[in-house]
Amino acid sequence: MSTAAHVLLALLAAGPLHGYDLKKAHDLRFPKAKPMAFGQVYATLGRLERDGLVEQTGTDRDGGPDRTLFALTDAGHRALDTWLAAVETPAPYVSSDLLAKVVVALLVADPEQARTWLSAQRRAHTARLRELTALKADPTTGLGDVIAADFALTHLDADLRWMQTTLERVTDLHREIHG
Amino acid sequence: MTVLEARSVVKSYGPTPALRGVGLELAEGEVLAVTGPSGCGKSTLLHCLSGILQPDSGEVRYRGRPLDAYSEADRTRLRRTEFGVLFQFGQLVAEISAAENVALPLLLTGRSRAEARTAARDQLDRLGVAEAAESRPGQLSGGQQQRVAAARALVTEPGVLFADEPTGALDQLAGEKLLGELVRTARERGTSVLLVTHAPVVAAYADREVVLHDGVVDASGLGTGRLGAGARTGTPL
Amino acid sequence: MSAVLEMRPAVLLRLARAGTRTDTLRVVLTAAGALLGTLALLAGLTVAAIGTPLDVTAGSRAQSDQYSSLLLRQPGLRPGVCLAFGLLTLPVLALAGQCARIGAPARDRRLAALRLAGATPRQSTAVVATETGLAALLGACAGFAVHFTLRAVLDEPNADGRLPLPTDVLPHPVGMAAVLLGIPLLSAASSAVLTRRVVVSPLGVTRRVRTRVPRPWPGLLLLAAAAAFAGVGALRPEESGLPETDSVLVEGGLPLLLLLIGGVCTVLGLVLGTAWISHTAGRILHRHARRAPALLAARRLIADPWHGSRTLSAFLACVLVGAGAAAVRATFSALWDAETAAARYEARAGVDDRALTRADPFYLDSMFLVDVAVVTAAVIAVGGLLVALAEAVAARRRTHAALIASGVPRSVLARATLWQTLAPAVPAVLLALSLGTALGRGVMGRKAAAGGHRFRACVAADGCPDALTDANSKAVEVPEMVRTTHIPWAELAFQAGGALVLLLAATAAALLFLRSTASVEELRTQ
Repeated sequence: MSTAAHVLLALLAAGPLHGYDLKKAHDLRFPKAKPMAFGQVYATLGRLERDGLVEQTGTDRDGGPDRTLFALTDAGHRALDTWLAAVETPAPYVSSDLLAKVVVALLVADPEQARTWLSAQRRAHTARLRELTALKADPTTGLGDVIAADFALTHLDADLRWMQTTLERVTDLHREIHG
Repeated sequence: MTVLEARSVVKSYGPTPALRGVGLELAEGEVLAVTGPSGCGKSTLLHCLSGILQPDSGEVRYRGRPLDAYSEADRTRLRRTEFGVLFQFGQLVAEISAAENVALPLLLTGRSRAEARTAARDQLDRLGVAEAAESRPGQLSGGQQQRVAAARALVTEPGVLFADEPTGALDQLAGEKLLGELVRTARERGTSVLLVTHAPVVAAYADREVVLHDGVVDASGLGTGRLGAGARTGTPL
Repeated sequence: MSAVLEMRPAVLLRLARAGTRTDTLRVVLTAAGALLGTLALLAGLTVAAIGTPLDVTAGSRAQSDQYSSLLLRQPGLRPGVCLAFGLLTLPVLALAGQCARIGAPARDRRLAALRLAGATPRQSTAVVATETGLAALLGACAGFAVHFTLRAVLDEPNADGRLPLPTDVLPHPVGMAAVLLGIPLLSAASSAVLTRRVVVSPLGVTRRVRTRVPRPWPGLLLLAAAAAFAGVGALRPEESGLPETDSVLVEGGLPLLLLLIGGVCTVLGLVLGTAWISHTAGRILHRHARRAPALLAARRLIADPWHGSRTLSAFLACVLVGAGAAAVRATFSALWDAETAAARYEARAGVDDRALTRADPFYLDSMFLVDVAVVTAAVIAVGGLLVALAEAVAARRRTHAALIASGVPRSVLARATLWQTLAPAVPAVLLALSLGTALGRGVMGRKAAAGGHRFRACVAADGCPDALTDANSKAVEVPEMVRTTHIPWAELAFQAGGALVLLLAATAAALLFLRSTASVEELRTQ
């Protein structure tokens, strides 16, 4: 089951919602993620209902058309708990493109070419860091955005530190071998 | 407009060269980060730019005037009135309260006690540590101490603020609060900031970054020596 | 000791010696103090070893005529000389203890590293004490060498065959052994006591500050001292001429005990009261100070008022004794006046001009030795003060370096240190001078008298070679010559000035450390 499905389960844990409010709640809490399309919301809800994790609890008319309210079932609560309790594999980056490119640049490519690419990559990283930092420093930024920016910042920071360490490691090794 | 400018600054500690010809410019109101690996000469550069150390050769100009042209006493006065400095830790006088620490530079420029006190409280308030005013440094957390130190550095409304790893002793959130308030105040007043750090997240508060490597500015920004890598040079995996 | 510390003595020695390369200043000062202390104690023991020749006619007060100085000849005076030498060792011990507090950066790092490696606080104290003890042992050995060299060099009888110094006797072997072991042990113990507020944590060395606000209760000790001295005065025989102190010392008993209690109470009251003086001076300064140096000093005085009593105690004790000595000298001087007046009266009454030589300036002369002892002790005490001030400057080196970097002129920091020393020291010195004067005058009295006796004066033109008879002499009644003892203002002013100069010199010397310690190196972040 997808992460998006679990996120919807989690949003429903607070109480019944209909599809439109569910989408708004999602976009409010994950502002930098891609907004969830209505189609995706209803498709996911359909799958969840099929699996017995959510159920329709009635309709709600708020001046407009009838809207179906969805609520979490007991099975849905259990599925959410299981998902929250499961530890994420701490390995999403071991096969990243950045890793592949740095290894190729340092160990296979021409030194000048490597330097040019690494320098450009570093500039891109630091520029993004600066943007995110500015976003965080803006007093109008909401808490959700700050948390998401922190997430991105921390990973970019890790990338930069890792690149730096790798560069130093390789130059050290080269110095040892070639004096 | 350039406020501070270094031209081919060279500085050695005995036989060990720390800076081997550094040039850089700091514009009015600019926040500039100086980064680089340990021992690249970042702190020495800050000391030379702020007139704490004198370069062996090359020159540093503040608003077009070389620092050499100042006498030692005038340089001290310059640091007190035009420059603010902030270090990693341990710069507050332990025996006096936070507000008195902040008031100290004003008292030294001849302001009255009452005046200095008001300005100090105002500055502490701006940096979000108004509640710490009457406490001694030892009674404050590391983050509060650094914000008090930042208040002291900013209270004279300096033209340039020098900060050397100001968040080095703080956790991430405390560091973020300090830098956020510091940079915001500096931007509001048009104060230029020279921020020395080795951490990319800290450097990200700056408008621009200068990377030092081995005592010179590294234009590639990589802060590393020759990349003798690649299959052709035969570096083993 | 080793069992408690769980450390083999050899390891302890190794760790204690590890610092001697970098901490030269402290070791040299400690050793110099121990050398001076050893010399003083050996001198005292030598005087104590002078034998009293059995003289049937003179009874127990037989003199040792081989010496040129009365102080050495008279058995009744020698205990006083020994006591003076013994007292000289007190500032020496204070100096050695202060030395152990000097927190050279290298030693601070070493001690912190020891703790980080798993040493207990007690073990780090043991390392400090052992280091001090070793330095003191070196000094004591040097002291023995100097003593025996001087003994050989100065063994020169003068024209009439008398020795200027007791170079013909040796101190008792047990005494010598006690000095050789006692000086290092006492130094080590005093360093352990004085460093009890220095907390060596694995992360560095901090000096814990006593924050309790001092109260003026040491004033009660001064009142007790006053009562004790009043007691001595009351017990003094009404009509004795001068040597009251002499008689007190010789007769011993209650007056001597009261004198000792009074002395101890005065010194304690003064030393403990200095904390209150520091605190009060700080508060007053803080209220009235307009400029940064005075404000800084005021805050530091309030923050750690005990610093003043710790650093100034030995020096103030010297000032106290000095002022007391001045008062005693004033009494002797008045007595000398009275005696010469009485002798002149006697001489005018008869032709016996030997009467003029009867008055003996011995007591007045012997005060010179007291002055030498006081000045020596004061100089040693200033050494301890210098060490303490330098330690305080070194402990603030990082803050000072940061302040200088931020444009605070060194002169501001120097002035703050000056204020911090002088604000409590000036009132404390004045108090010590007043107490010393009151003490001296209280014990010695405010008047000196001579005469008041009858005798038969020879009136024959050719003198009275055989015996005085009614025919060749007449009865003379010498009226009592009373001289008021004056307060020795000039001498007190001189002492106050001298004390101030010494304090300023010590502060100035300590500020040299400010120059060398507050360097930009302290600001390095890596």
